Amino acid sequence: MKVTVEPSIFSIVKYDADEIAGVAKEMLTLLGMKSTNLTIEVDETVAMSRVTTTMGDPVHVLAMSSAFENLRKPRTFSADNTKFSLGRGLLRVRDRLTGNFSDAPVDEDLSIVEAATWETYCVGRLSRLGLKVHKQRWHYNFRNRHGFNDATDKHFETIWESDDLTWSQLTEISRHAIA
Amino acid sequence: MRKFFPVEDLARDERFNQATNAERMADTRGTSNTGVIRKARSTNRLTPARPDATDAARSLMHGIMVGEIQALEGAGRTCFDFVTGEEAPFELKLDMARQCWDEARHVEISVKLSEWMGTELGQFVENTVLFAAACSQDPVLRLAGVNRALEGLAIDVFTTMKEFGELAGDPYLAFCEDWMLADEVTHVKMGSVWLRKITENDPERRAKALEFQSVVDKIFSYGGLRSESDESPILLARRFRELAGFSDGELSEIADVSLAALNERREALEKTFATSPA
Repeated sequence: MKVTVEPSIFSIVKYDADEIAGVAKEMLTLLGMKSTNLTIEVDETVAMSRVTTTMGDPVHVLAMSSAFENLRKPRTFSADNTKFSLGRGLLRVRDRLTGNFSDAPVDEDLSIVEAATWETYCVGRLSRLGLKVHKQRWHYNFRNRHGFNDATDKHFETIWESDDLTWSQLTEISRHAIA
Repeated sequence: MRKFFPVEDLARDERFNQATNAERMADTRGTSNTGVIRKARSTNRLTPARPDATDAARSLMHGIMVGEIQALEGAGRTCFDFVTGEEAPFELKLDMARQCWDEARHVEISVKLSEWMGTELGQFVENTVLFAAACSQDPVLRLAGVNRALEGLAIDVFTTMKEFGELAGDPYLAFCEDWMLADEVTHVKMGSVWLRKITENDPERRAKALEFQSVVDKIFSYGGLRSESDESPILLARRFRELAGFSDGELSEIADVSLAALNERREALEKTFATSPA
């Protein structure tokens, strides 16, 4: 695996490119993606936690600066948050590589409902891989996009507990959750 | 017991990390304006339609929670820091005691709402500027800075969060924000009433207090956080502010200050984007 981080030197946030690359390699190993090459571009001008990926070789990861930030100490680096943010993005890449997500829109074109559904699926799996996850945060996100009722909660649990869904299965559950 | 407690000595456990307003203002990053964000948003107003709405709402809720703690501490200090009758009327202290009761309830509500939204206490940095405004040696300046400027901002924030809860269909958020909003209107009104009453025959002191309020308003408008533009996450809640005793002239002034702050921030961001590597 080869990981490149841009920029190599940060001027607004206090991040270290080598440290980010190290965390990325750790996540690629954890997710069984050792043959995947990455270019990680960090937009340090934006304080948001959004991460988008573009398929290719290398896979391009665009991360807004808060995706790697210690939110308790703004502009400083958090390895845990970086693992978690990259983990979500890389699981989407892994899903796409299986061929079961070939009909999924590219990251930038995902609707807010689709994004929340896929995030739920990714974070549930990350929690089972041992990453520290605050489930309620993702439950609240899912409810915001699907509704605040018992039926929605049941569908959330189905997605959270799953390991081998396809894009069409995911979107089908999401549709039922909204109905 | 110690009087006039400095902001640096506020008691917090290890979960919390505090930052001054200067540190906050040193962060030149934006939360919009880049290509990918612009594509995803038609407005910066905090509504469920924003792609980052859930996290933005969680962050704002945490800000409300620590703000309520500081408002409780500030109102409590005003009850104790001034000599009854000589420096502050008993009835004013009684109002501040009532406010403490409200703020304590708001802290509890905000903690529960934060948990409901999936936020851990102390997960975000705590800005201590609210309590800093409550450290003035003059109770009238505290009324102007805290009750009128900051609690006024709280009216705007709670109105936005209440609407967020209604649009998202979150019954708890909408309900709780509505009740807290009612209290905030009362707190601002207390500030308006006491400011006018105490400075009735002291125009110089009143002018100084209103100037202080304007400074605090400007500090809290930093970054274009609150204005009447769609570019601001929080909308200036004119109607509820009128109920709290703001005149049309005062509201126009706050709107102008907020817009100026938004324009300053926009220019600063453009400078940041222009100087950062492509």
